Amino acid sequence: MNERLISLRDLAWSAVNTPLSLVLTLLALIVFSQVGWAAGHWLVFQAVWPWQPADLCAIHSGICWPFLTEKLRFILFGTYPYDDHWRPALASFLMCALSVQTGLQMIDRGFRLNALQTLAVWGAVLLLAFVLMAGGVLGLERVDSVRWNGLPILLILSIAAIAMALPLGMFLALARAQSRFRALARMATAYIELTRAVPMLTVLFVGIFVLPLMLPPGVKISPVGATLVALIMFHASYFAEDLRGGLQSLHKGQDEAAKALGLPYWKRVGLILMPQAIQRSLPSLVNTIIGAYKDTSLVVVLGIHDLTATARMSFSDPGWRGYSLEAYFVVGLWFFVSCAFLSVIGRKLHRKAAIG
Amino acid sequence: MIPPRLPPPDRKILPVWDIFATAVVVLLIAFAVNNVITNMSLAGATPGFGFLWQNAGFDVSEALIPYSPENGYYRVIIVGLLNTLLLAVVSLVLATALGLLIGLMAVGPSPIGRIAASGYVEVFRNLPKLLILLILFVTAVNELPHVRSAVGFGGFYLSNRSLYFPTLVFTPQIWGVLASMGGAILLALLMQSRLKQHRIKTGKALPMLGACVPCVLLLPVLGAWVLDVQWVWSLPEFAGFDYKGGLRLSLQFIVIALTLGLYHGAQIGEVIRGGIEAVPSGQGEAAQALGLSRGQALRLIILPQVVRIILPSMSNQYVNLIKNTSVAIAVGYADLMSVAGTIINQSFRPLEMMLITMGMYLVICLSVTMMLNRMNERLRLAQH
Repeated sequence: MNERLISLRDLAWSAVNTPLSLVLTLLALIVFSQVGWAAGHWLVFQAVWPWQPADLCAIHSGICWPFLTEKLRFILFGTYPYDDHWRPALASFLMCALSVQTGLQMIDRGFRLNALQTLAVWGAVLLLAFVLMAGGVLGLERVDSVRWNGLPILLILSIAAIAMALPLGMFLALARAQSRFRALARMATAYIELTRAVPMLTVLFVGIFVLPLMLPPGVKISPVGATLVALIMFHASYFAEDLRGGLQSLHKGQDEAAKALGLPYWKRVGLILMPQAIQRSLPSLVNTIIGAYKDTSLVVVLGIHDLTATARMSFSDPGWRGYSLEAYFVVGLWFFVSCAFLSVIGRKLHRKAAIG
Repeated sequence: MIPPRLPPPDRKILPVWDIFATAVVVLLIAFAVNNVITNMSLAGATPGFGFLWQNAGFDVSEALIPYSPENGYYRVIIVGLLNTLLLAVVSLVLATALGLLIGLMAVGPSPIGRIAASGYVEVFRNLPKLLILLILFVTAVNELPHVRSAVGFGGFYLSNRSLYFPTLVFTPQIWGVLASMGGAILLALLMQSRLKQHRIKTGKALPMLGACVPCVLLLPVLGAWVLDVQWVWSLPEFAGFDYKGGLRLSLQFIVIALTLGLYHGAQIGEVIRGGIEAVPSGQGEAAQALGLSRGQALRLIILPQVVRIILPSMSNQYVNLIKNTSVAIAVGYADLMSVAGTIINQSFRPLEMMLITMGMYLVICLSVTMMLNRMNERLRLAQH
């Protein structure tokens, strides 16, 4: 793309000046008008606003806000004890705030924390979120993990899985990238290739159905725990491949210079190789993270009530049947906003990496 | 002067990490296997694949091979596998077509087309596929008419349960027509290579398309006329509660194929856009300078380079798409994953079933990867 200043008139003219251009423009305009018409109809013209009575929803075909004002808390927090909703709300807020902060930090905005501080804050927040959700201490009532529903479970599962899959992926990448220990490299390769060639759902099924069988008799693992283990095992191979890409793109001289300085293996990895590899693979890591976050919604299939599942439950209530689009609208909006934020970070990192 | 010496040979070291890692893995596997055997024997079962020949006892919504609940589990697994493959092929075609359109629009001359393409990509990249699937599914079930008042269109009938469409009844003569079609394609290929030789020898380009297209089109028609083929169509007709005749695709199948088409269409569109933009503009200009026409430049210079650039990412996309067909379980289409889920719930054989299921996905994905890798290598060799 050559950088040229184009006037608006030229731009408009280029939309119609060749047959191909004209066809594409017309096609796009048809799609736009159709989508715009449907969206306007649903969101504005036929909408029943929050202050209008809910009975109107049966007559109007647009979005039913009374349904959402009634059910929003259920969609967000599910069957968590109603009076304690501030706990999942606070936990979700903390995790979101920290995710935004970490994202901004990657593109040199927000608070500047070093790696150790970031790690410490993340550990503290995850622990705090867990305590808030589970209770049982500090006078908070104990809440079983079966009742952790909606937004907080989505955030906990995706963030905890990503946070723990990253170090595991790092070890897998290192094991695969080295050539000194052949058996270790082969095992890492086999593990990575096998998990990457099967759907995530099969790994989740293994977690929920096979993992309990593999534990000694009498040892129990909660569905949330089993799902978390499966997610970590699955995402680790994807992170491993991203990081291996970063490791392989490093110049050989980096490792050789570190060796010449007499650094032992773990110091070479920790001080020279890994920091650079992470820096280089950040764009693809962010892509993998977005994918992992979106795919966390698949835990619905295992009977874990994340945001998508609570949305589904909210319109199975006999009094509110048929308002499925409203419920999914909330979920879609949430995913769209959060993923768009991550995408923006990813794109900035790409640009940064391209500049060097 | 000190004579040059060879560097000392690498010290032989004990592969500590190899031994350690192997030991850990072996111990873990032994521990798990031991626990599985104990746990299963506590439930009164021994691990094994004998259960595959027991009666499945459950019906599936659609099957490509004859199936009834009295058949064994092995047969329902095959039914699921075939359904997964069909779904994968249909969604692959959909996603590629959509991705091509989006990718071309994104680099096309129309600014409004570019906006539409990027808007589409943004929306579908930032939503989970499961959510897209559920939204499309509830919309289709709510908005489409009941079977009784299905929308008809030239023998196609769409209702909120299924799509019926006419099919050709295969008679022996139709095989003859197909054979003549195959012969025509073979002939066209032969002609093409001849024409190429002619061009290389004399430097004169003969009309390649002008010779091949009529041949491919006319020969089957001629074959049909000679064999006096009776075209028998099986048309869907409403009878009692549902349509009879023709072929049926369930709404689930259509919605999942559409979801995967839309979701991966956005990603494939991005891959294609990236591929086209990665070809330096000098390539097109050089082709123009050599006197190639726009079409020739596109076909001979630009396209081969684009294909070479995008092939690795495309093979990634295709494998992802095949893996993602497993979301079908969320709307109850009888694919491999959901059949496996039902069997696990019924027979309590999670370990065996997951081994089978993962093995099947593994074979499918690895063979697709291998095929595309081979293609990739061939294109790479063609480079010089």
